[in-house]
Amino acid sequence: MLSYNFNWSIIWTAPYGQWMLEGLWVTIRLGLICWFIALALGIIIGTFRVTPFRPLRVFGAVYTEIFRDIPLLVQLFFWYFAAPSILPKSIEMWLYRGLPNSEFWIVVVGLSIYTSSRIAEHIRAGMQSISQDQYHAALSTGFTHFQTYRYIIIPYAVRIMMPPLTAECLTVFKNTALAMTVGVLETTFMSQQIEAYTFQGIEATTAASLIYMGISLSVVLIMGFVERRLAVPGLITRAGGR
Amino acid sequence: MDGYDWQVIPNNLQFLMHGLFTTFQLALVAISGGLLLGILVGMARLSSIRIIYYPATAFVNVMRSLPLILVIFWFYFLVPLMAGRPMGDFFSACVAFVVFEAAYFAEIVRAGIQSISTGQMQAAYSTGFNYRDTMRYIIIPQALRNMVPSLLTQAVVVFQDTSLAYVIGLKEFLRSASIVDAREMRSVELYAFVGAVYFLICFAMSKFSKKLEAKRGHA
Amino acid sequence: MIEMKNVSKWYGDFRVLDNISETIERGQVVVICGPSGSGKSTVLKCLNGLEKFQQGDILVDGVSLKDPSTDLIKLRQKMGMVFQRFELYPHLKVIDNITIAPVKVMKVPVKDAVKRAMKLLERVGIPEQADKYPGNLSGGQQQRVAIARALAMDPEIMLFDEPTSALDPEMIKEVLEVMIALAKSGMTMAVVTHEMGFAREVADEIIFMDEGRIIERGTDQTFFENPKTERAKDFLNKILF
Repeated sequence: MLSYNFNWSIIWTAPYGQWMLEGLWVTIRLGLICWFIALALGIIIGTFRVTPFRPLRVFGAVYTEIFRDIPLLVQLFFWYFAAPSILPKSIEMWLYRGLPNSEFWIVVVGLSIYTSSRIAEHIRAGMQSISQDQYHAALSTGFTHFQTYRYIIIPYAVRIMMPPLTAECLTVFKNTALAMTVGVLETTFMSQQIEAYTFQGIEATTAASLIYMGISLSVVLIMGFVERRLAVPGLITRAGGR
Repeated sequence: MDGYDWQVIPNNLQFLMHGLFTTFQLALVAISGGLLLGILVGMARLSSIRIIYYPATAFVNVMRSLPLILVIFWFYFLVPLMAGRPMGDFFSACVAFVVFEAAYFAEIVRAGIQSISTGQMQAAYSTGFNYRDTMRYIIIPQALRNMVPSLLTQAVVVFQDTSLAYVIGLKEFLRSASIVDAREMRSVELYAFVGAVYFLICFAMSKFSKKLEAKRGHA
Repeated sequence: MIEMKNVSKWYGDFRVLDNISETIERGQVVVICGPSGSGKSTVLKCLNGLEKFQQGDILVDGVSLKDPSTDLIKLRQKMGMVFQRFELYPHLKVIDNITIAPVKVMKVPVKDAVKRAMKLLERVGIPEQADKYPGNLSGGQQQRVAIARALAMDPEIMLFDEPTSALDPEMIKEVLEVMIALAKSGMTMAVVTHEMGFAREVADEIIFMDEGRIIERGTDQTFFENPKTERAKDFLNKILF
């Protein structure tokens, strides 16, 4: 064994403890912002993919395919290093100099778009799993198409999609860790910063791990609560309970 | 920015391709190692022996709640410590990926085995098969067939995940591109190239997987 | 040959089986009927150890199922079972479905197993399907293969769990005919079914169960013409439309 001196107290000693808390706060903000943007975008794109209007369907399919087949890190690098130089010079300058925390917002763009493509897939699958007969049943009682969507299809689809959406929410928070590569001061970045200062890599990484486990647990609990509130008896059996 | 210089790619092609090769190597180790370990863990998750079930379940739950980047850092510190000497970033990355992806493969294996109806097990038992033979001849062959689409999807995910080895400096495809970028300042061309290559490979793999699934549906 | 003594099984407060006692002699055909959830399938699955029970005992040729030293696997080789959903192995051809247990469990040489399997397929009327996969067969054909598969182990007793309940109406007859022929050849059978025509034809004893208990017993004459209990009368009224 290489010699290693454990020193667990660095986790809570100032300033390191404070760094971790700041990192945690950034992680939570980043995760929540990206999640809600991705949800909105994903619902739109997902709905595009099931409309009878062909150009929208194609757009949705291309969008989903592109952002799913390229690794997230590559996408972030593109947004951070490459994309600004495509924009007009003035915007590029504002991004790098004028906007405070520009790396945070660039990651928001990249991570939201990536996550939205995955959510769009779940939305599409959920909508398509609803049988034709449900539509017909609703229409046959005199509903318009819009009413059918609003009162029958969408409420049903949302409940079916809760498990995959929960998984996606977990994934978003885990993916915020990638922001460290472009200098966002989130949890993982902070843990490695502490390591750089103190050489106590194991302690720092353990602290970060505990934080992520805590976040995952919270997400599962909250989403579980939402799912129970929405649940309809006998509709879906939640697989595994995780 | 004035004009794009796409020549930067052919100029550095050998270096970039070497990075891509490293990516493939890492992915191969990660997929095969992760699958093997994943099969063991997946079956452990189905065991009724508590000393086997609980550690396996804890392992899967912990791994699935952590970002891969963090796990990579973990093993980057841990591996030299346990081995007693520096082992190189490729080796540490391999260990990290095998352990991490095993948790995901384990869930696919577990779901695959559970998807075989209990009726099949009862039918086998009723003809005098014991547990081992039932698993071997009846349950696992069927489960493997069912799992193939999910396993292929996960393989594509692993392939994309290898880009995260960037953070420990491993010269895989993305890191190679960023090294060239630091020298040549041609971010748009380089990262577009990386994106395009990944896209072609992953798109082809997912189309292939869909084709396989369609063929199976006819059987 | 099989003796059930005060067998009871429960989940928490719910009694699946309540004090079941019954004897099945060699060569007898016993039909078990009753409403859904009455425990009929559970009784059957207790007989070959697929389900466990908390109280009472089952003796198969004197061997107690409760005895921990009993080799359940060996026991199951003597008992064949046919399931409601056929449960053929979808990844194996028909002929392999039938031969796999004799070859792997009883170590019968493959050639002999195949010969025997073909004879069994002739006996159930579908030798030409040997090389097909279960997915290509109709329900009635699949169930007949399932019967052949169970017979391949040369059992002393055959257990049938609602063998025709999952079949389209036109296919019920072909399966019942095979079962009737089997009964007439002297096989000991315990059959959970609603097919009263079958019961009338070959049953030596009919057991009516409800809520985990045996409510009434009779021969085909006494049970159908003169049910003694209200519950049995009610049930017969409902199913004999």
